[in-house]
Amino acid sequence: MSETLPSVYGGEILHVHLGTGDSEIESIDPRDARRFLGGNGFVAKQVAEHVPADADPFDPENVLALAVGPMNATPFQSTSRGVVGFVSPMTNGFFDSTFGGTLPQALKTTGFEVVVLHGTAEEHSYVLIDEDGAEVKSADGLEGTETYETCQEIREREDVGYDTHVLANGPAGENQVRYACLVHESKMREGVAGRGGAGAVLGSKNVKAIAVQGGDFQPEPAGDLQGRAVQQMGRLMDETEMLQEYGTAGLVNPINEMGKLGHRNMQTEQADAEDAEAVSGETLREEYVTEDTTCSNCAVKCGKHVSVEAEGITEGKIPEFESLFGTATLQEVYDPERVIKANDLCDRLGMDTISWGVTVAFARECYEKGLLDDDDSPHLEFGDADGLVELARQTAEREDFGDDLAEGSFRLAESLDDEAERYLYGAKGLEFAAHSARGLKGMSIGYATATRGGSHHDTRPTLQYDGNHDETTEGTPEFAARTQHFTALGDSLTQCRFVSEAGWGARVNERYAEAISLATGWELSTEDVEAIGERIYNVERLINVARGVADRGTDTLPHRTMHEPIPDGPSEGMYCPPEELEGMLDEYYEFRGWNDNGHPTTDTVDRLDLADVAESVAD
Amino acid sequence: MELELRYFAMVREAVGERTTTREFDPETTVRDVLATLENDHPDLEGTLLADDGTIARSVTVLRNGTNVTHLERGATELADGDTLSITPPVTGG
Repeated sequence: MSETLPSVYGGEILHVHLGTGDSEIESIDPRDARRFLGGNGFVAKQVAEHVPADADPFDPENVLALAVGPMNATPFQSTSRGVVGFVSPMTNGFFDSTFGGTLPQALKTTGFEVVVLHGTAEEHSYVLIDEDGAEVKSADGLEGTETYETCQEIREREDVGYDTHVLANGPAGENQVRYACLVHESKMREGVAGRGGAGAVLGSKNVKAIAVQGGDFQPEPAGDLQGRAVQQMGRLMDETEMLQEYGTAGLVNPINEMGKLGHRNMQTEQADAEDAEAVSGETLREEYVTEDTTCSNCAVKCGKHVSVEAEGITEGKIPEFESLFGTATLQEVYDPERVIKANDLCDRLGMDTISWGVTVAFARECYEKGLLDDDDSPHLEFGDADGLVELARQTAEREDFGDDLAEGSFRLAESLDDEAERYLYGAKGLEFAAHSARGLKGMSIGYATATRGGSHHDTRPTLQYDGNHDETTEGTPEFAARTQHFTALGDSLTQCRFVSEAGWGARVNERYAEAISLATGWELSTEDVEAIGERIYNVERLINVARGVADRGTDTLPHRTMHEPIPDGPSEGMYCPPEELEGMLDEYYEFRGWNDNGHPTTDTVDRLDLADVAESVAD
Repeated sequence: MELELRYFAMVREAVGERTTTREFDPETTVRDVLATLENDHPDLEGTLLADDGTIARSVTVLRNGTNVTHLERGATELADGDTLSITPPVTGG
């Protein structure tokens, strides 16, 4: 009996060929919906199908796939999130990056669950999507414009105000800064597809922005999803009180108190309490926050606007916790107004604050150690706040030393003395996020095995801070793998991670199984939905194995994480020596059903119903 | 004995201070300190300790930077000179 697609899906994939401007529509195979669910799963399938294993991330053969999830535009909370999937210029592997706002919900109503951009546009363009399909339009006059300005200009050109929802590149993407991001400025808040270089890939396609105008499609859950969502609302609001008040910036002080917040390019992991306080959520709220902002269909309102008169910033986006790690504590820059300025510049120019910040901090340590000097740049002393702001501008323009920073820390290290590798902080070419690779054992194995390299949205840190798998390796490889299933599942639902962890639980559980069953009409157990996450993670791994970027040799950690214990503070002595990592890798591979080199075995591929994917990535 | 108490986020708002240093009896536990704070600050009532006397889900308590979940939780005995940090639980980020 053939399956039918649940009515929660719009049902179509829109392929846009940028070179010709032609489009084609593909129906979603119900079997694929059941195997890959949406969002993350759908874009992974597209990359597996369409990007040759030997294609460079900047080749026209790379795709940029934008997808939403089955729950989007339903009562299931906080699902107005989109996912972009592509081969990353940072890692040369599969990458998916998510963002919130109003665009994802608008895309859902067009009936297109996935939009795939193929090839390269002949002229500088933007892509307009509505329920009738796509149009590749001239972006003449938008060369070099900042992200917010681009969103506004395209809204004006389309002349329906905020009913045109825009995801835009900045100058950094046009200049193919490898970690250029995409920024969505909506009526309600800003969203950033921050990591992995989605902006650089879009820039390589000669595309300035993706714009969406909504349609009439309304997903129809099979059961009482609204009732189930309402049941969860009390817990959700109770557990997200800190996010409601302070946004993620509220994490600076707590994590610094634990001695797990990188400082001075990870030389230590605790800033002086007064320094941390200066860039904390408490200070930002008291001194600079002007209003709360939110994505569609979300009551948490974790977004905030900040204004800094001295910097000419009015209603800028509040720096997230990760950004404060990258641009403040790692730099020893504790002037909040200059930090906000650097973050605002990164948002406007279109750069990932994590990769950029970690790369600058790496360069600053190289300068400190004599591997770089004033002839390279006059802005490389730790604590130089004005230099930090100037380096942001230079990086986006690839001007002077900014051209080196634009390549990311790993490529910069290759151009320096071998000693420079000792100061890197990342994996597989992607800089780590704020959650300590030394101070949290789950992050040690999680980062080492992450599809995306230094991503904190593969293995999650949240439960670790509450004493789970932070200090022990026992059971930790399985924990890391299963939270990778959790994140792949969540990014396929396209539910906001913060909301899901706090409101629905930070592991795959019966609540998710029940909600997905109510939405789709499928009768799924907890094991069934975790298997969807596992399947997606294996698709990503299969892509990366075929591309030669995923094996035991690349599942590793940087020198400092493996050889230099945290020198002081509450987490003093913690690190992940090579033999400890090797032991955890053995357990991790065994749990996953991968061979000793970290490749999924044929039995695992068959168990997860992925034989067709394994075949397509090998082509 | 003397303890340094550090408050963050919503707890700070309720207490109205960032840090206090105050005297407690010897053998004071984490639970004792939290109960004292709830008693002193009505806005904190029910937010630090659950009905069964365990540490509420809405806070994380660190003794000298170590999460007391790694120690004896609410029963953790404190020593003169200890710092107790009362933070929101890590969510998001």
